[in-house]
Amino acid sequence: MNTAQRLISAGLAIAILPSFALADQSTRVALVPGGPHPYFAAWEQAGMDAARDFDLGSADYRVPQKWELGLQNQMLESLITQGYNAFLVFPGDPVGTVAIANELADTGAPVVALAGCLKDPSQAMFCMGTDTGNSAYLGTKELLKVLGSGAKIAHFTGFLVDPNTQLRIDAVEMAAAEGGAEVIQVIADIDAPEPAEEKINAYLAAHADQVDGIITTAWVPAVVAANALRKIGDKRIVMVGIDHDEVVIQAIKDGFVHGTMLQNPYGQGYIGSFVADKLLSGCAVKADAPFKSNALTDKFIDSGTVFAGVDDVDNYVASMQAITTVLFEKFESTYLDC
Amino acid sequence: MIASSRDSASDIGDTQSEQFRTVALLRFFLSNEFGLIVLVVIFAIIFSTLSPAFLSKFSLYALGRTSAVNIMIGFSMMVVILTGGLNLSVGAIGVSSAMFGGWLMQAFGLPWVPAVFGGLAMGAALGAINGIVIVQSGLHSFIITLATMSIFFGVMIFLTQADSYREISPEFAGFGRMKIQGVVSPLLLVTIGVAVLLSGLFRLTSLGREMLAAGANPQAAELSGIRVNRTITLCHMLSGVLAGIAGMMLVARTGAAIPSMAGQLGQDWLLPAFLGPVLGGTLLTGGRVSVLGTLLGSFLVTMLTSGLLLMQVGAFWIQTYLGLLLLTAVLIDLARRRYLQRRKLV
Repeated sequence: MNTAQRLISAGLAIAILPSFALADQSTRVALVPGGPHPYFAAWEQAGMDAARDFDLGSADYRVPQKWELGLQNQMLESLITQGYNAFLVFPGDPVGTVAIANELADTGAPVVALAGCLKDPSQAMFCMGTDTGNSAYLGTKELLKVLGSGAKIAHFTGFLVDPNTQLRIDAVEMAAAEGGAEVIQVIADIDAPEPAEEKINAYLAAHADQVDGIITTAWVPAVVAANALRKIGDKRIVMVGIDHDEVVIQAIKDGFVHGTMLQNPYGQGYIGSFVADKLLSGCAVKADAPFKSNALTDKFIDSGTVFAGVDDVDNYVASMQAITTVLFEKFESTYLDC
Repeated sequence: MIASSRDSASDIGDTQSEQFRTVALLRFFLSNEFGLIVLVVIFAIIFSTLSPAFLSKFSLYALGRTSAVNIMIGFSMMVVILTGGLNLSVGAIGVSSAMFGGWLMQAFGLPWVPAVFGGLAMGAALGAINGIVIVQSGLHSFIITLATMSIFFGVMIFLTQADSYREISPEFAGFGRMKIQGVVSPLLLVTIGVAVLLSGLFRLTSLGREMLAAGANPQAAELSGIRVNRTITLCHMLSGVLAGIAGMMLVARTGAAIPSMAGQLGQDWLLPAFLGPVLGGTLLTGGRVSVLGTLLGSFLVTMLTSGLLLMQVGAFWIQTYLGLLLLTAVLIDLARRRYLQRRKLV
């Protein structure tokens, strides 16, 4: 648990605790990402905090040892056998995970797609994650506030098999077009250290002088690009990153990165565990809940995103707390019938 | 005197027969297959003792369903290993076949039976391409299938635009979710049926024996009239069909044909593809195959993974344990072969 997570946890406990009713010790929530990735690390603490704050039996973070759909399926099957009765799952594949999600739901366990959505129709209660397109759009707008029209920007993003990636690419293109800028390069499939190091460093070595700005919309490319700008000592290129890795935060403080689009993985895990317990104790999702739509589902809840520039970076923890608190306070009345 | 001589001959015959049976029994006890059966039983006892849920109906069902696919993937590699070659494109072929079968169901509304056969035909065709290029170029199958892995997968992604096919026949998807007596997946029965057919192929047919002969010593096989190139191509076709069956089983399992079912380039299948045959005693140099061994080896690996997950062993330790198991199995096999050589049993 890093300092940020500790602070968020403490802040949320103070803000949220008075508002919940007694929960059920028999609730066992499994938070299952598609594989190991730093984005999901906050889920572990979120689950532990939720279990403590809402008096759940457990809310455990269970990571498949690698990004393999079959392994994630096998782990989910094993978790049923182990007695878990609520599942918060990042789908290894938006279509391929539907079958196992339906099987989990058939056992009576509420299933929520977290951080990424299942393709409708599925028996998932809803999907809660970052509105990735909106985050990429807002991040590009922040970039263009500095660069103005006519800027040439490069976009470094995640895996093409992740349905969010195309949404991000489209959103950056749209924001750039609206701002009179041009996306001169999109490098995708680099949300892992090795390909990110190789492709970003090679690109900047050859084309740094042709680029005015960089937008990154995945965790690892943000870290690698921030490091690359620091290494070449280039403060001319304006970069907007994503997430709250220490490397990115420090690069903002040192002036190598303009700012970052914060997401809310902690809030996803924390609120997701709370909702899973509520659903197990008899609450139901409102038929007329004000869900948003995206390319995969019509039952989407935005877990929030906010820009943190150099003026906000010291308080980014408070920014993330604020997002979670706002979402949590209204969640039950907005989305649940209890 | 004559009677006595006959009695004596009969005694000698009985003694020889008994010795033969003893040697056969000893060889069975020293076989890979027996070793794997012992390991399966030992691990089943350990897992069920430490976690009684291991023997729950759902756990056994899930274990059978997962191992059915892993065993089929192992068979797909096994039939190429027996020629002394490798097929790194099993995953790419399996996914391409599954996507083709899914496309036939969605785009043409074909019933599942002809669509599945269409998928398997695609697997056979891609396997044939591997085989033909290998025998015509004379290059090792490692190089050729490494290249075709990217080609097959790349073409499939280009043609499908990485989109999934979800309009799968409900009967077919239902087949993948069916539970017989609440415990047995029909996918496991399919795998056992294929195992019986493969055993019959290698034990009872001249084609199977030609495949083994071509793998053991291609020159000698050629001199004895076996068309080695044709045989190798047939092995790759068979490998493609078996990969296609594994792919279609996953379609039934997930109710959709999805490009990511075997990971990037189909690489997720490589570990199960090698573990089963190698643990099962199929020689990497070719010429020897064990269908039962591959089945048991793949089952053991799947059971070990499930058991370790159930015991909540740290997810990252599972790979370590699998590696240790593989190393242990190879060392035990080495000890077994040395023992057989010392006793002049081989």
